[in-house]
Parts: sequence; C-alpha cells; structure tokens
Amino acid sequence: MSEEKIIICRCEDITLEEVREAIKNGFTTIEEIKRILRTGMGPCQGKSCGLLIAREISQITGTPIEEIELQNIRPPYGGILFKEILNNVGDKIEK
Amino acid sequence: MDNIENVELIVVGGGPAGLSAALAASDYGIKVVLAEEREFLGGQLIKQTHRFFGSEKEYAGTRGIDILKRLIEDVKNREDIKILASSRVLGIYEDNVVTILNNNKMKKYIPQAIILATGASEKFLAFENNDLPGVFGAGAVQTLMNVYGVLPAKKILMVGSGNIGLIVSYQLLQAGVSVAAVIEAAPKIGGYSVHASKLKRLGIPILTSHTIKKAVGNKKVEGAIICELDNNWQEIKDTEEFIECDAICLSVGLTPLIDLLKQRKVKTVYVSELGGYIPLRDENMETSIMNLFVAGDVSGIEEATAAMIEGQISGLTVAKRINKNQKEEIQRKIEEAKKELVLLRSGPVGEKIRKGLSKIGLNHGENYDESILKEEFDISYLMKTGVPSKENLESKFPKDKKIFDKGPIAISECFQKFPCDPCVKSCPFNAISENGNINNIPYVDFEKCTGCRICVSKCPGLAMFVVHKNYTETSSLITMPYEFLPRPKKGELVNVYDRDGKIICEGKVIKILDSSFQDKTAAVSVEVPKEHFLEARNFKVRYLKHE
Ligand code: SF4
Ligand code: SF4
Repeated sequence: MSEEKIIICRCEDITLEEVREAIKNGFTTIEEIKRILRTGMGPCQGKSCGLLIAREISQITGTPIEEIELQNIRPPYGGILFKEILNNVGDKIEK
Repeated sequence: MDNIENVELIVVGGGPAGLSAALAASDYGIKVVLAEEREFLGGQLIKQTHRFFGSEKEYAGTRGIDILKRLIEDVKNREDIKILASSRVLGIYEDNVVTILNNNKMKKYIPQAIILATGASEKFLAFENNDLPGVFGAGAVQTLMNVYGVLPAKKILMVGSGNIGLIVSYQLLQAGVSVAAVIEAAPKIGGYSVHASKLKRLGIPILTSHTIKKAVGNKKVEGAIICELDNNWQEIKDTEEFIECDAICLSVGLTPLIDLLKQRKVKTVYVSELGGYIPLRDENMETSIMNLFVAGDVSGIEEATAAMIEGQISGLTVAKRINKNQKEEIQRKIEEAKKELVLLRSGPVGEKIRKGLSKIGLNHGENYDESILKEEFDISYLMKTGVPSKENLESKFPKDKKIFDKGPIAISECFQKFPCDPCVKSCPFNAISENGNINNIPYVDFEKCTGCRICVSKCPGLAMFVVHKNYTETSSLITMPYEFLPRPKKGELVNVYDRDGKIICEGKVIKILDSSFQDKTAAVSVEVPKEHFLEARNFKVRYLKHE
C-alpha cells in the first residue's frame, strides 16, 4: 500500500502519508491536524476527511474513536461574499 | 435591529424529514419558514425512482419521486409555510439569531424554534488512487443518472452492499450501465436480502469479505484491484484480482451533516451504529439546546420512512409548545408517531438502530416483543450470496405440493424480517399476512389466493411471483416483476434465469400487465417447461444486454 497515493482530504489534496506523519509528530487532534495540513479547510469543510482522520488518530494513538472530537465549526456555513452581507444593510451604508 | 424578522419556526432542509416537519407544525397553525439550500425541494427523494419499503401509512410501495410530489404539493398549498429555496442557512448563533443567504442577501431571523433536517453526507474511503476521475460516491451517481439523465460510466464496480449500494446498482442496470460486481468488506450483505436477490437474479456477482485495494488507471479509472478479507478484516494473501471497469462507485455509508449543530454547540457523540457523530437528543427530537430540534438523517442514519416520522414528531412537538390550544390532540398524534417508529425499528434489521439509540439514552427496547427480534430461520447463506437456501424456499412453498395443482398461486420469496408491508396491503383477497407486525415475514394463504397477480407489481422488493404449475400438459406459467426497457412483446421468446442469475431455459411471453396500475413494474407471464417452475425467477429480453 503506498500511503502517498491515498488521498484523505480531496479538497486540499492531503495524503494518508502526510496525515500519519503529522499524527506521529504529536498532532493528535483533528483541529491540530487541520491547522498544520489544511485538511478540512476546503469547500467540503471536512466532510470527506473528518471521519478518516478520526480513525487514523484512533488507530495510531489507541484513543477510542468516541473520545475524538471533530474540528470546530463556526459560522458562516459555506462561502459568502462581503457584498452579500452588506446587501442586507442596504441604504444605511455610505458607499 | 429592525431588519431581524421574528418567526415561529424555521425548518432547515427540504428533504422528507424537513417537509414532514413543516407540514406537521403547520397542521396546527404554526407559521413556518422552510429553508432549502438547493433550488428545489425534496432532498434525496428526487432521485429515488424505486418503491419504498416501510408501512403503507408512510407511503410504502410508492416510488420516492412520487412521495416527494405529494409532499411538495401539500407544502406549496399551505399559506403558513413560506418556502425559501436556494437559501443556505449560514449561521445559528448563541443569541438564537439565524442567518440565511437568500437572493444574494443575508437575512436574519429570530425563531421561537428550529428544526434541523439537514440530512447526511457520504463517507469517503481510503485506497490507492482514490482521487482518480471515475471514483464516485453512490449518491453522485444516482444524481447524475436519475436527476440529470447522464450516464456516469459504461461499467461500474460498486463498493458497499448496503441498501444504497444495492439499489443504485440495480438502477445502473436499468439505465443500461453494466455492473462488474458489488463488493462488501463485511462477511454479509449490508442491505435487505430482497434487493440483493434482485441483482443476483440478473447475474451480478455480490462478493462479501472483499475490499478495494487500488484504483487502476492513468488519467481516469480503467479498473480496480480488489482482494479478499479474513474474519479479522485483514487481507488474505494472493487473493488480489483485477476488475475491469471505467468507474468505481463508493457506497460505504452516510454520516450526519451536523455542521450547523456544531455551530450552535449542540452536544454531539460518536455512535458508529448511527453513522458517526450525532447530536444528543430526546424522544421528541429536541437537542441539548432548548427549542432546537433535529429530524431525519442528521439525527442518525436511518431510512426515509423513519425520517418522515421524526419530522412529524419534531413538528408536532413545536406546535404543542407554541400553540396554546389542541394540546391533547397534538400529544395523541405524537404518541401515535412514536409507536409507529418503535414498530418500524422492532425487527432484527432494526437492531443496529436500537443499539445506537440506547447509547444516547433512548431506550427503545423496553416494549419489544421478543419473538419478533430473532430471524425466523437461518438466512446466513442468503445474506452471504443473495440467493435463498433450499430450506428457506421450502418454508415459503406450500407444504402440500398438491396445492400447485389448484391453479395459479402467489409465492412470496421474502425471507428476512424487516419493516415492509405493501404485499399484505395490496392483496384484494387478504391472502397475504404478516401476523399483525410489519416486521414479520409475509406468508401467502394459498387457499385464499386467486393468482390475480396484483401483488407481483406491488412488492418493492420484487419478491412476489405467481406460479401456475399446470399451465399446459408440459409447461408452467410464471408471472414475474419486470422493470427494464424495452418491454418484451407478447409471443416473444426470452431467456429465462434462476435465482442465481444462471440461464436455465427459453420461455415465451404470454401476458403482460403494464398499465398505470402497475406503475412501471410490469407483471410478465412467461411460459417455461414444467420442470423449471420452481426455478424460473427472471428473464431477459434477448436483444437487451445487461452484461
Ligand atoms: S396473486 Fe392476488 S390473490 Fe394471490 S396473493 Fe397476490 S394479490 Fe393476493
Ligand atoms: S414480499 Fe412483502 S414484505 Fe417482502 S419485500 Fe415484498 S412487499 Fe415487502
């Protein structure tokens, strides 16, 4: 099995090899791995990679998967343009 | 803050759960804002061209797309439901403000209650070259095919034998795509046996204890390497096999789409039986945040029927809380819906769901009728191969073989306990019974059965056949469900297959029932040599290639 040919995060093109490397280097939460590898920061926001990474962490560190937290999710859900935020305020804003 | 609108209820997601929730709440005068991310309502139902299982009350036997039409029509007729299509809910904040992007504008709402019915997303699988073009999720394949009319490939390898994998494989065949095989890592088939048998009769291999190692191809998928697994899910040496295909379809499960719940900091837990991280919630579908409810797959992966009932429960609970009147009536309806759910989950296939629910403190098990929990007979062979064993079949054939001489009789080849009853409800002569519990296996009362063939088209599992042993001196007439195009013509010669998908003889088409009553599942009667009357269970029109 070549770990460098197995993609874990499709949005950011991160491989199993990179994820395992990160875990071995002590980054053992999904949040930490996200910060150093950008997994889960693409358009799908971790929907493909989240569970796969959780399982890797569980297997390598021996932590039961029930104890592994998903990454934090903050608003907004999905991309938004500043224009769209401002549209709502409408006339009240000085251009 | 004059641009914040106060509303009674926001429902997020216009799939079966969301639509049912909105309808149930508006039944009691609640004003609902229904936000759907896409430009159309319906969620996953828009691609479910197959008939649904479940209880007739919740539309079983009806095609998903037709259930959807009814729900949408109903929703559109309600003045109390405001539909926001193409509207993505972007944020649910701690002060209860909900922001929705609609028409390029961020709108803000303060609802008295929220029901999140955001559904699920597909799980992904780690194997070599899993980023090659041609690696699809089963949901994507179904969307391409059934919503947009685009063929995803010529020959597909299906990974995963849950209901979605089995159903999508069958639909691919209907669309003219060949299916190289369905592989399943577990030692047994994940979906309902009737779905597996349908594929098996078409000659599709179902390989349990097999997994995909690698996608092969240069710029796109040209094949796959699969291998066998042992009891500990470890690869067995020297079992690698190359399968030629131009697409690999992943159907390895769904996981709840909980992003919005996480935003609001709802408590979530990992429950593998329910698909991954799920929100903690009570029996009324309320989460750890008061007035924030969930319904459908976002609360744990289950079937669409359960999603619709959960939608009703959450919608009614909101109505009960906001509405000052009719409380008793609403409460009664909630109790009824809960009973319905308990019934749906009460058989052996509901065990996983029950186990998952008990992990979040919902003890669905207390009222279970123990006798229903166990399978009636050993179906391990069936669940490994998709083909019923001899003993299984014997149990459903008339004990007294002379009954075959009385004329055409229905044979039910449904061997698994799961919540489904369209056969029972369809028979005008009350000849099919499940003994009062939808999870029981249906049996035909051969004395009452007139051989009318109605049930053949009505069973969503294509498990009902009508057998007329003594059609002539030398031949029998077998009426089988048929869902492929082109249709056979009267008098045409067809190839007849057994339950294993092996060709056994030639048959002649004698009669075709294919009106609107059959709703696209034709009942085709084929004359076969008498010695095959217990084996002939499928046929193919000759100029149509499924291979
Ligand atoms: S063939 Fe007709 S009478 Fe017999 S079980 Fe089916 S629906 Fe009932
Ligand atoms: S035979 Fe009855 S219970 Fe079995 S799949 Fe068909 S309709 Fe459902």
